[in-house]
Amino acid sequence: MLYLELFIQGFVQGSIYALIALGLTLVYGLLRILHVAHAALFTLGGYIGVIVTNATGSFTLAMVVAMLVVGFAGMLMYKLAYEPLLSKPPYVSLIASIALFIAAEEIFRIAFGPYGLSYQTPPLQGQIELFSDFYLKYAEILVMGLSVVLLSALAWLSMRTRTGVAWRATVTDPDMARAFGVKIQNVRYLNFFIGSSFAAAAGVLVALLNNLVEPTMGSVPSYKALAIIVLGGLGSIRGTLIAALLLGILESFGTIYIGHLLGRDAIAFAFLILVLMVRPQGLMGGKL
Amino acid sequence: MTEILHVSGVTVRFGGVCAVENVDLRINDGELIGFIGPNGAGKTTLMRVITGIVQPQDGKVFLEGVDITNKATHQRIRAGLALAQQIVQPLRAMSLLDNVALACGGEKTHHALKSMWITDISSEHNRARALLTRVGLSHVVKELPGTLPLGYLKRLEVARALALNPKLLLLDEPLAGLSQKEAASLADLISTLNADGQTILLIEHNLREVMRICPTLYVQDNGKSLAFGKAEAVMSDPNVRNAYLGVSHA
Amino acid sequence: MSYEITLLTTMAISVLFALSLNFITGFCGQISLGHAAFLGAGAYTSAMLSKAGVPFLMTIPAAALCAAVLGAITGLASLRVRHDFLAITTMGVGFLFVGIIRQQDFFGGEIGIAGIPGSGFGKVRFMLICVALAFTFAAFSLYVRRSWMGFVFKSIADNEDVTRVLGIDVSRYKLIAFIIGTGTAGVAGALYAHHFRFIGPDSFGFVESISVLAMVIVGGIGSVWGVIFAAALLSVLPMLVQFIDDYKLLFYSALLFSMMRFSPDGIAGLCTRLSSSISRRTTESDGNKR
Repeated sequence: MLYLELFIQGFVQGSIYALIALGLTLVYGLLRILHVAHAALFTLGGYIGVIVTNATGSFTLAMVVAMLVVGFAGMLMYKLAYEPLLSKPPYVSLIASIALFIAAEEIFRIAFGPYGLSYQTPPLQGQIELFSDFYLKYAEILVMGLSVVLLSALAWLSMRTRTGVAWRATVTDPDMARAFGVKIQNVRYLNFFIGSSFAAAAGVLVALLNNLVEPTMGSVPSYKALAIIVLGGLGSIRGTLIAALLLGILESFGTIYIGHLLGRDAIAFAFLILVLMVRPQGLMGGKL
Repeated sequence: MTEILHVSGVTVRFGGVCAVENVDLRINDGELIGFIGPNGAGKTTLMRVITGIVQPQDGKVFLEGVDITNKATHQRIRAGLALAQQIVQPLRAMSLLDNVALACGGEKTHHALKSMWITDISSEHNRARALLTRVGLSHVVKELPGTLPLGYLKRLEVARALALNPKLLLLDEPLAGLSQKEAASLADLISTLNADGQTILLIEHNLREVMRICPTLYVQDNGKSLAFGKAEAVMSDPNVRNAYLGVSHA
Repeated sequence: MSYEITLLTTMAISVLFALSLNFITGFCGQISLGHAAFLGAGAYTSAMLSKAGVPFLMTIPAAALCAAVLGAITGLASLRVRHDFLAITTMGVGFLFVGIIRQQDFFGGEIGIAGIPGSGFGKVRFMLICVALAFTFAAFSLYVRRSWMGFVFKSIADNEDVTRVLGIDVSRYKLIAFIIGTGTAGVAGALYAHHFRFIGPDSFGFVESISVLAMVIVGGIGSVWGVIFAAALLSVLPMLVQFIDDYKLLFYSALLFSMMRFSPDGIAGLCTRLSSSISRRTTESDGNKR
């Protein structure tokens, strides 16, 4: 039973990672930028989720508002921070992104206080008993369910709509896409909107699971998300999702067996380095 | 006649595609071989096998009789190969003089720890200046590559490769992207270098110039050797004409 | 006087640390987001040896060695990966270091190591030692830049593949850059431990790695003088200006972002551009005068 519990826990955690890492890989695939500041959007989503729920009592509304607002925030981040840097060498946007992330965390700390916020009346607090002694929280079910819904929606969007086709074309060959009349600018905005709103969803869900949102909650997921997208092979969506779930499960089991050696959070990086030594292009990365 | 390069039975597969299939090629000292073939013939792949950037699934590469198939690129360069690449990549933060001087400094850069103790660059600068003059760039030696036209950068690639004192000079489509006049001028330079004794393997698409300066041609199509021999004979070979269907530059 | 001496010591250590990263990232073009791990390796080695009774000066080569060995391993790992992968790998090394240190009671666990003995030289002479070491490495950096090794580094930073095609063993040069850079960070770590007399895993985390990278970038990647200036300034600014200390991270990140937006080649780049535009204007006005 322990194994099943660990597995499901890992799956839940992996779903969160998937939602966060997706935005990161979307940006990388399109612009070759490591969008470290993405995690700040995750935290922002968490804050909005808690604030709106506390103000209106409706968790659903909070989720929608968080996703929309943060989606736009992501687009704004692209416009103000990344667009001016596109012509510079890659380390410039990486450093700028890191700077942005640290600044955002500080702003959260100054604006909302260092101790974080909680739900006044936390929603979805029940749990169901699957079999003897094994409980699954409603919140955990929501995490898994919502992730599946959102990711499927994205898959449908990218495969079956004109927008999706335009987006995939832009990722593969921007000049060609431009020649066919695709508005690259709009594709980029959409890209950031989707990635950021997914991160916001993850933020709201994590705030729900822990009943806490605090300024530095984005740090660890941000670094792990970076490890995840590299692990999956930079730019590969499928690779990212697999790596995210894999990591969630690995951490779940790993903490029990080697957690005393490394600490839970370092497991991601240990795994990453090991994989990169064997396969420098990541699990599903193309040829270097 | 010393044999400089021997490519023996080389096969390269990428996934399910066979880019190069059982190719044999020999180049003797002092020759200027034009390596031609339609797009997708596998020319660049073979070039990469010779330089070591790509490993063949089958076959071997010999430089002056020595098997270099398992050697790393920088080792092959030290053994006597030099490459001027299709997409020019000058070192952008340095002047042309420094670009070539670095190439001249092979003895000084060979041992990494020893290189720390050497600061004298005058002899390399002198050699570099001579080489840049030889390729017609003496008037821009102090310039940074960023401001210079493509034709100049192509010549820089050649000068840098020559600086390595190669036994075999590999030129990958040096005339690509140049105007007719620039291409003819660069082709003349290549011909002069060969007349001075440099062994050259020239990959090119520009058949007009290749026919003009190369006494010997090697043709590849779909990864397979198609023809090898004197230029006129090769170009009148019906197989070669078929492969180049529709091309009428000769 | 005592306050100024402490300030100078902090500056010297930061300059040494930043120059060590400049060697790897600035000279050789290998981006490292985990450099604080090597500061930490040196610090922990030196601290633990010192507490065991080893004289301060003798802990320095041990610290350098430990950091350099770790650096060699990291360097070897870095040979396999490029650019973005390299950035994340080095970041991973940093996190691994902190993660492992934090978990082992042998290293003091979460709390770290306190009560590190003084250097035995008194404040003034310790400060002079730090300044001397920083000065020595700065001179060494300037020398290397003029040497053939510096020439090759510059080429590798410019275009690794081309450097290889010139017959140069790029891997060996990268490894040397890593070993020298990380070993020197180890020395800085030994000094750090004996200056602050207390170290913990949090002193050597990602934020610390980014801070030192910020010093290198703000100074101007590759520019020895720029990095010295930036490191000296940024290391003591929070101590001098209270407002900055309270909002230290916000200030640093805002500064870093502005730098990237408006002058990615740092202060050195700004100076170069300023001086060439001044000399252009003087030659123009000279031309006009005739």
